[in-house]
Amino acid sequence: MKDLESTKQPMSEVKETTYWKSLNELAQNQEYKEFTEREFPENATELTDGVSRRGFLRVMGASIALAGFAACRRPVQKILPYSKQPENVVQGVPLYYATSMPFQGNLIGLVAENHEGRPTKLEGNEKHPASQGNSSIFNQAAVLALYDPDRSHSPLYNGEKATLEDFTAFAKSHFGNTNQNVVFISEANSSPTYNTLKEQALAKFPNAQWVTYEPFGEENVLEGNRIALGQRLRSYYNFLNADVIVSLNDDVLSATHPNHIEYSKQITSGRKVTSPDDEMNRIYVVEDSFSATGSYADHRLKVKASEIEAFTYALASALSDRVNGLGAFSGHSNQFSDHKWVTVLADELAANAGRSAFSVGSEHSAQTHAAVAAINLALGNVGNTVSYLEVPHVDEQNNSEAFAEAVSAMQSGSVDTVVLVGANPVYNAPADLEFEKALAKVGTVVSLSDYVDETSAKASWHVNRAHFLEAWGDGHSCGGVRSVIQPQIQPLHNGISEIEFLNRIVNGSTETGYELVQDTFANYFTSGFEARWNTLLHDGLDPDTSFDAASVSLSGGFASTMRSATANVSPVSGIEVVVRPDATLYDGRFANLGWLQELPDPMTKITWDNVALMSPATAEELGVENEDVVSVTVNGTSIDIAAWIQPGHVDNSVTLTAGYGREGIGRVATSYIDYTAGGVDTYPLRSTSNMLYASAQVSATGNTYEIACVQDHHSLEGRDMYRQATLEEYKDNPDFASYKEVHGYEVPGLEAAEHNGEDEPISLFNEQAYPDHEPQWGMAIDLNSCFGCGTCIIACQSENNIPVIGKKEVKVGREMHWIRNDRYYVGEDAESPQAVHQPVPCMHCELAPCEQVCPVAATTHSEDGMNQMTYNRCIGTRYCANNCPYKVRRFNFFNYTKEYLTTGDDPDIIQMAMNPDVTVRFRGVMEKCTYCAQRVNRAKIDAKKETGSAKPADGAVKTACQQACPADAIYFGDLTDDNSQVAQMKRNKRNYQMLEELNTRARTSYMAKLRNPNPALA
Amino acid sequence: MSKYEYVKEPALVKGDHDFSSLTRLVTDINLRPTPKAWYVAMIGANTLLFVMIAAIGYLIWEGTGIWGLTNPVGWGWAIINFVWWVGIGHAGTLISAILFLFRQDWRTAINRFAEAMTIFAVMCAGVFPAIHVGRIWVIYWVFPIPNQMQMWPNFNSPLLWDVFAVSTYFTVSLLFWYVGLVPDLATIRDRATSKIRKICYGIFSLGWTGSNRHWWNYEKAYMILAGLATPLVLSVHTIVSFDFAVSMIPGWHTTIFPPYFVAGAIFSGFAMVLTLMLVARKIYGMKDIMTNDHMEKMNIIILVTGSMVGFAYMMEFFIAWYSGVEYEKAIFMLRATGPYAWAYWTMMTCNVLSPQFFWFKKLRRSVGFTFFISIVVNIGMWFERFVITVTSLANDYLPSSWDYYSPTIWDVLTYVGTFGLFFTMFLLFLRFLPMVALAEIKAVTPQADPHNYDEETKEFIPPKVEVPEPQAQKV
Repeated sequence: MKDLESTKQPMSEVKETTYWKSLNELAQNQEYKEFTEREFPENATELTDGVSRRGFLRVMGASIALAGFAACRRPVQKILPYSKQPENVVQGVPLYYATSMPFQGNLIGLVAENHEGRPTKLEGNEKHPASQGNSSIFNQAAVLALYDPDRSHSPLYNGEKATLEDFTAFAKSHFGNTNQNVVFISEANSSPTYNTLKEQALAKFPNAQWVTYEPFGEENVLEGNRIALGQRLRSYYNFLNADVIVSLNDDVLSATHPNHIEYSKQITSGRKVTSPDDEMNRIYVVEDSFSATGSYADHRLKVKASEIEAFTYALASALSDRVNGLGAFSGHSNQFSDHKWVTVLADELAANAGRSAFSVGSEHSAQTHAAVAAINLALGNVGNTVSYLEVPHVDEQNNSEAFAEAVSAMQSGSVDTVVLVGANPVYNAPADLEFEKALAKVGTVVSLSDYVDETSAKASWHVNRAHFLEAWGDGHSCGGVRSVIQPQIQPLHNGISEIEFLNRIVNGSTETGYELVQDTFANYFTSGFEARWNTLLHDGLDPDTSFDAASVSLSGGFASTMRSATANVSPVSGIEVVVRPDATLYDGRFANLGWLQELPDPMTKITWDNVALMSPATAEELGVENEDVVSVTVNGTSIDIAAWIQPGHVDNSVTLTAGYGREGIGRVATSYIDYTAGGVDTYPLRSTSNMLYASAQVSATGNTYEIACVQDHHSLEGRDMYRQATLEEYKDNPDFASYKEVHGYEVPGLEAAEHNGEDEPISLFNEQAYPDHEPQWGMAIDLNSCFGCGTCIIACQSENNIPVIGKKEVKVGREMHWIRNDRYYVGEDAESPQAVHQPVPCMHCELAPCEQVCPVAATTHSEDGMNQMTYNRCIGTRYCANNCPYKVRRFNFFNYTKEYLTTGDDPDIIQMAMNPDVTVRFRGVMEKCTYCAQRVNRAKIDAKKETGSAKPADGAVKTACQQACPADAIYFGDLTDDNSQVAQMKRNKRNYQMLEELNTRARTSYMAKLRNPNPALA
Repeated sequence: MSKYEYVKEPALVKGDHDFSSLTRLVTDINLRPTPKAWYVAMIGANTLLFVMIAAIGYLIWEGTGIWGLTNPVGWGWAIINFVWWVGIGHAGTLISAILFLFRQDWRTAINRFAEAMTIFAVMCAGVFPAIHVGRIWVIYWVFPIPNQMQMWPNFNSPLLWDVFAVSTYFTVSLLFWYVGLVPDLATIRDRATSKIRKICYGIFSLGWTGSNRHWWNYEKAYMILAGLATPLVLSVHTIVSFDFAVSMIPGWHTTIFPPYFVAGAIFSGFAMVLTLMLVARKIYGMKDIMTNDHMEKMNIIILVTGSMVGFAYMMEFFIAWYSGVEYEKAIFMLRATGPYAWAYWTMMTCNVLSPQFFWFKKLRRSVGFTFFISIVVNIGMWFERFVITVTSLANDYLPSSWDYYSPTIWDVLTYVGTFGLFFTMFLLFLRFLPMVALAEIKAVTPQADPHNYDEETKEFIPPKVEVPEPQAQKV
């Protein structure tokens, strides 16, 4: 038997003899019983289902080895050793492979950490432009998606289990009839292999229609660019060149944005201020609900979503007086024409022509996008801050219209077969299309999906889809870089990828994804295939590939289209309801991932549910408070959802997020343990004419619904944990963030200490000695970069095996995240405050208050300056957590890990997501951020082997949060190295310690936030 | 005649008792058949004890999460109850040790009783630190036991000091109590008629014969133990207060805590003695021994310590303001006006306001009113510990971590259950051991100081006992 601690060590170190009293005892062993029950269904004879006698004995051996200490209270885990050591595998040392993750049709280059054939962690691929070494919450959580035990385990035929061979046979015969009316409904997909198959399908089935449906796609952007520029082009920004960024309701910094990482890196790198001589970009956001981008902006204006279009036209009109090319708008005036912001923005954009970026949220109307394109064109931004890309796989048709037409064809009964490739329209199609009814009128429905989702449940054939880490694939990034998706593991449930699926339907053949992708790349690599293919796999991308930027000019019909559009703007006069993708679940596809359900929303800090966000004034008008259930009615359809007051939200508007209220896809999405969670399905409020906002009636129902919010208090109470200034104030006084400047006097005790020749105030306790040969770890967090997305939290959760605890426990206040992101509202005006984000990991205090009070010395200091937690020694008095002024310690109130890792009928699967380098924690012990001690120590050992010094080179060790952060806000390294990045950051004048007056000597420090306001709006 | 009139102390034992009647009054309770009412009470206490055992069993099975503890609030009812019960224990040691050294003879009526309460209260208190840890099966790591890791516990930790303080306190209290019991156990042994009783009381009376040498040894041992126990009265709650004062949480990190905790402990301990005494003397007819004079004296101590506690509350506020530390200022304002203001004002009312009624002699001597106030004081002192423990943790440095703590049914059941342990022990004590220190009280009766001669003529006169009534006194 191996307890948890020891299985997490490299297996080569495991040497243990186990004993049992009798074979009879072994036979009674529960572990053994479960094992046999699971592996061999009842009445099955053991040798008929392909298990060799030798294999059987081998796994039996493992089971017997487990029997020894079955009476122990510690969780029991199984190990299966390699019987032969594979080449290049050193047990306990992970291998790293380049791969990519598709998201909204775009590929994001990643590197997978692979432990003995088991991917456990994803990081960004530094060479890939869409990730540049960083990642998003969805990238991080993809590992959990792979090991989600609720994924579909097999194809289903009319709800009955079937095999893949059955499906292949069906596809061959059913799609042999090429004259049938087939509708293909697919997700956005940039894969060249996939699009080749799509062409083949359309060629093979003359009566086929292919529709790409994404509930939150880029259709309006493409249409808008067609209106303005004559072609369906993708707007692709380069914020690096932008001094002024104006975002109209475009949450570019949100993980839901299709190019979130690249844009986040660009925008935040324009704000890396290292000295008072540096300049910063300036960000203006006009939006309805408070978004992460809005909180990051220098200026934020709240405007109803339905008024954004009018605002755009007013701005275009104001700009038409200042620059050429916007004649279509000259003379237009509406309610915003006299708005101060319109004048200021027009001045600012005109002054920064060619160095400004102007964008609008993708869900806004095509006409709005057309106006934005015209403005960017008129400002000369095209080619500098924005380019318009010709994307080969983008359809010529307007997919929103095509989808509606296809559904009405289905409704009329003229469609014989519907093939759904990953799409889930029963759940997320606009409600007025009545997709589910239409689907019922179709003879054969074939659906490929990860889960037996709402659509697959209605399909005649459901095929379980392979996760991207299980199957070969290819595709393009948002900007067009071509990459492959390299699988890391054999499909756990024998699923197939979308290209293998389509290949079965179109060609009736069962070629592997590997062959299909190689065939595609054979077209690109016409010479030296082998070498180039290997480079492609190694680097994760085909270098020097991108989509071509179109050379654009205003199309002829633009002016007339705009004249009619500007004449017909009709904002919602009463209460508008806006449906957006959820910041943590996107459109619902991630709803069964506990990490994301439990990730606090960047702004509301709510977990496990969606809510109806509204301003304080609107809430007062409706007579509701937080957690009061309101009924939201749009065109006769209503849903009941808990209200939540969002300071800074525009009045007379309610924001809902989609992605919740999923049915039957898994235990996490619908309810977790015994508590109601999982939120409300908001798609019924969307219709083809009201995809973003609609006029709504909102009323209180008198009921309440509990919401698990991780932060109850939203004001800083005038305290100095978070320090910020304007760029100008910083230039005047670079020391503004120091304790002395904030308080007007020096840190208590410091002057006396300096008088005595000491560096720091005295301590009552013995100080840890830090020998010269050890590195001294420290962290600096740049608040000027952080916009609160939460990627650090999920990266840490993935790296450090942090359990998901469920809504009930979060509600009690026992969240386990080792790094949290505090969000405070700042400012006098509760109706439009500023919001700030502050990631808080363990401070690794040199004089750690937690260490002094532990009665059993379970938390101690290391020679390299880390505050360590020895789980084995911890008895769980929680005194350390009480005495931590930063409240970063997390206690296992229950056996969370066991619950988390053993729920469901197939617990072995989710256990595979665990990082073997990190101990899982048992009930009753304290845990906290370790500065990723496992990474640090691996780097130290490697450095010692290579250089003889225990000090790794700067950058050789990155903490999980640092590595993932798409804003590069976290710096970590050796403080004894004067040239290390973190040491340089700590010398920055903006650097300050949280609660410095407590003399804890925190190793984690912060760099104060700067804002760059426009004096004209002050 | 001098200007000042000599006011005689009221007799400590009322009624015309001789030694024999006192012996009967006290030991008959142990020797006569068990009354039905005792069984009824014992069933009630045992039920509660079972509740405690079940609640602890479930706690160990399921985990600390069954309580209402959260991330900022790592200590809740368990620690509150621990401090509360330890505090209650203090009165017993104060009465038996300090009042002994100060030759306060009135202590003899209640010291046995109060010491028993001490021991049982400390037992109840001891339950909580043991069960509140996450991994109770390795709780022995807090003791400095030599081990293969050659690892000592962390001597810097106040929790470790607690372990030593409370275990020393319990041991000394138990010894002190037992030494005092020896002559009385011998008395019961001598009066017992059944063989089992003779043997049992015989064993525990350690061969006491009442010889001169026995008395000499007894008196010395008792004196030494009183000397040992006296600093413990001050040290135990001082160290308990260090659990809070040594930490750096606003509202905890306060140098006033040691005296303030000791005063509070005596305050609540005397209240608890009164609660128990007033019931016991009624049921067992002990009014002659535990008189209203005793009650009044104890009420005066409650008034004094209650006022000290009230002064400490105000000093905390003053120092928070005077220190200029914004977190200190904030926590005290939050206590009075924040989410736990209801608990704060309950505490203030019960602890500061209610004892002030004892400025009035009439109320000090009113049995019903004293009983009521004694309970109010203990509620107040529980809330004091609640306010200290919970509010400071719930609203400390970083506003983002602020959270509201609410207990669960298991917190409540565990607390209520400890009363089962307490009353089970106490009922056993009442049944089997003399509840009054017989040997000691006999020495302070008027009869023990007979004055069988006329002070002027020096002639023998027959014994005549004067029992001045307190009502005749002028204060």
